[in-house]
Amino acid sequence: MPNEILSRGVTRRAVLGGMAGVAALSVAGRVSAAAGGEAPALAQLVKDGKLPPLAERLPKKPMVVKPFEKIGTYGGSLRRGLRGSSDHNGILRMVGNQSLVRWNLEFTAVEPNLAERWEVSDDATQFTFHLIEGVRWSDGHPFTADDVVFAIEDCVKNTELYSSTPAQLAVAGKPVTVEKIDDYTVKFTFAAANALYLENLATPLGQHPTLFPKHYCSQFLPKYNPNIEADAKKAGVTSWTELFRSRCGDIEIPSRWGNVDKPTLDPWVVKEPYAGGATRVVMTRNPYFWQVDTEGNQLPYIDEINFGISQDVESLMLNVISGKIDIQERHISVLANKPTLSKNMEKGDYRLLTLVPSASQQCQIYFNITHKDPAMRKMFADKSFRQALSIGINRPELIDIVYFGQSEPYQAGPRPTHPWYNEKYARQFTEFDADKAGAMLDQAGYKKGGDGFRLRPDGQKVFFSIDVIPTLYPDLVDALELVKTHWAQIGIDMKVNTIERALYYTRGDDNAHDAQVWPGPGGLDPMLDPRDFFAFHPQGSRYAIPWTLWYTSNGARGEEPPESQKKRMKLFDEARSTADLDKRGAVMKQIFDIAAEEFETVGLCLAVGGFGIIRNNLRNVPEKQPDSWSWPNPGPALPQQFTFTS
Amino acid sequence: MLVFIAKRFLWMIPSLFAVSFLAFVLIQLPPGDYVTTYIATLAASNEIVDQNTAAQLRERFGLGDPMLVQYFKWIWGILSRGDFGISFEWQQPVSDLIWERMALTLVLALSTLIATWAIALPIGVYSAVRKYSIGDYFFTAFTFFGLAVPSFLLALVLMYVAAVEFGQDVGGLFSPEYENASWSFAKMIDLFSHLWLPVIILAVSSTASLIRVMRANMLDELPKPYVTTARAKGLSEFRLLMKYPMMIALNPFISTIAWLLPNLISGSVVVAIVLNLPTAAPLLLQALMAQDMYLAGAFVLLICALTLIGSLISDILLALVDPRIRLE
Repeated sequence: MPNEILSRGVTRRAVLGGMAGVAALSVAGRVSAAAGGEAPALAQLVKDGKLPPLAERLPKKPMVVKPFEKIGTYGGSLRRGLRGSSDHNGILRMVGNQSLVRWNLEFTAVEPNLAERWEVSDDATQFTFHLIEGVRWSDGHPFTADDVVFAIEDCVKNTELYSSTPAQLAVAGKPVTVEKIDDYTVKFTFAAANALYLENLATPLGQHPTLFPKHYCSQFLPKYNPNIEADAKKAGVTSWTELFRSRCGDIEIPSRWGNVDKPTLDPWVVKEPYAGGATRVVMTRNPYFWQVDTEGNQLPYIDEINFGISQDVESLMLNVISGKIDIQERHISVLANKPTLSKNMEKGDYRLLTLVPSASQQCQIYFNITHKDPAMRKMFADKSFRQALSIGINRPELIDIVYFGQSEPYQAGPRPTHPWYNEKYARQFTEFDADKAGAMLDQAGYKKGGDGFRLRPDGQKVFFSIDVIPTLYPDLVDALELVKTHWAQIGIDMKVNTIERALYYTRGDDNAHDAQVWPGPGGLDPMLDPRDFFAFHPQGSRYAIPWTLWYTSNGARGEEPPESQKKRMKLFDEARSTADLDKRGAVMKQIFDIAAEEFETVGLCLAVGGFGIIRNNLRNVPEKQPDSWSWPNPGPALPQQFTFTS
Repeated sequence: MLVFIAKRFLWMIPSLFAVSFLAFVLIQLPPGDYVTTYIATLAASNEIVDQNTAAQLRERFGLGDPMLVQYFKWIWGILSRGDFGISFEWQQPVSDLIWERMALTLVLALSTLIATWAIALPIGVYSAVRKYSIGDYFFTAFTFFGLAVPSFLLALVLMYVAAVEFGQDVGGLFSPEYENASWSFAKMIDLFSHLWLPVIILAVSSTASLIRVMRANMLDELPKPYVTTARAKGLSEFRLLMKYPMMIALNPFISTIAWLLPNLISGSVVVAIVLNLPTAAPLLLQALMAQDMYLAGAFVLLICALTLIGSLISDILLALVDPRIRLE
């Protein structure tokens, strides 16, 4: 396996060590803003007296971004594709990632963004952020500590607007408290240790502190506007909360990109909104954007982003191969498209972009250990049954046929390049041995019946179905069909149950499934999504949904899990509040050891990387990027410093 | 005639209620609700919805209410203040979303109708009059070809040729500069310069069947005694054809006007999606898939209303055109 981490001279270990550190370095290489340039169109506006001069629009010490390859030139319109429905995160990933902190390119450390530095208390309960002085919203209004306090205290903690506080901002059942120290300093205080807060803050779900401009959004809150109900009625909505959402949006709802009046801190602002029935979304440069390149030129380089909305992926593919898209990985990044895209590189004048998966497993099989039917539950809960099924799968054949040989047998846990990699957890029971599998099943009491298929101890035939969503993951259907033939050889009858995705979720939520499949996360970000390591995610840990409910409701709902689960839950809570990365790693490794021992999920192979395209005249784009929702590619690669050569 | 029209209008009211209720129930039948689908959609790109947010979305949309309560809230809003509700997905009033789409759908439907008739009528008449001629065989072959090729495939092929061979913009009904512009004469021109491709694609298959219908009907009428009589009385061949057999052969054309609109919306979904047309079909499909029930419900209701109006129009036209039809 080649080194898949995008490290540039820093070992992952060292960077990870810095990640939990107390304070980040201040931004290096500051230059005077007056020295730099600005886009010609903006310079013209300044000349006409319609816009204040650059020096008044930029912070005194603007954040300096080192361009990936070279200093860019201004101009151009970047074309990218969206789909017509629920694709708002396609915009978020490209432009809307301006949080207090951000991920570095390698996805290993948190870097300053709107907060230029911070301090974390020793017990990881208090986080003090120092904002960059003089940053302005896209309408020219200053961005200060008041905005951060307003966003959390008045908006997110408003129980009519958010009936419960978003998970990131609440610890031990209590929401965070945010206070203003001075105009450019804010302090976040949690009820208990929250060592992962900085990492969480760098993910899209951490954008709340910088999402709501006080001077604009306060007009939609009853506290600041006594006539709000009347205003809501006038706007044709039924309540002020709806008005607030449609005007100020939220992190991931379409209306975030539906209001051209809402000031933002993003490099581009909405010109033609993402609304129902829109056929395109156009975003235009923010004249007050607060970052400059190393020569002091204001970013972004590119004037405009044009998101065409396609209903159909095939027409998006057509646009890509005929060179009408400048950068795209979303929607086209399935292996089946790779030959077509590789073949047309010259015609479309583009190069390929490699995505490094942050996921661990391409196809994780979750047998429902907490099945409602006692006999099924007994069967799935039998560890040797699961082990036998795992070694009954011919993984090399599956990888060759379904994944074009681009993977390797794998169970679960961090990817091989991760410092917390656990060999046993990752590789056990991946060796194909049908005879041994048969012997194990015999011993576990599943004898073969007359038709060659095995019977349970209660005399019923061993039969179960595995739910899979064909529209979402067609490769998983192919993989399961192969697994079905492998299992038939050892006398196990399985049905590949292809269902619609809402039904898939409802079955999971009701604990009505025999087994389901899903790609297993946690390969590069094991702390952010540990759903395969223990019953963590109420929808994602599909081998034991009732246990996750018990965990997330502090024992009020669901079903009490066995000791080994409870131990891991406790260990994870401990890891989450451990600021020291070495200590945290030690705790997490215990979790992996226990999980390896229990062998709850059956994995097929290591997650396969995606890809995308970049037009050859688009520069400063890293050609290898992590692929993750937590590192919302390509946002952390800083599209504001992308530039066109001609 | 007026009494007939008034009666038909009165009948439309209960029909609409029945249909709207059925539509509402059908939209809600699949498992899960808007929030489930929303979470599933985001999960599709491995994006995660905050668990607390999901719970509060359900509460906010009143998805916990019994279906009847939800239905009456919705229908009362429409009747009392023309309020079709809010689209869950877009957080916008439904009425903002549907009208322009419905208007464009009508434009497309009418253009396709005109194109279909303009091609099918003359060819149908020709094939009937010159039965078993080379021309008849040619058009017959063409007809079967048109029926056999799925329209979405035709759309994909034409798009591929246009995009890859000629570097043309494909998809949509407008050039980029007019896409979000307000309506003007220039925008109308732009619309018509883009309209021909979807119109041809949609017209091909329906033309084929109409040619067959027209040909068969004409063949029925031509040997009838009144034709012979008229010919014997010295009426010119063209006037003769136009005046009697043609009028009667038109009957099935007119009586299918009512189905045209629903057909165009349901039958053209795939084409509209492939060609990226801003008509009602793709938005309706999306709304159905997302279980965005107020948006989907409004579309279904409008399509039903238009169908009812369409069938009224065809009845009136039939009464005018076909002398054999009486209202009593």
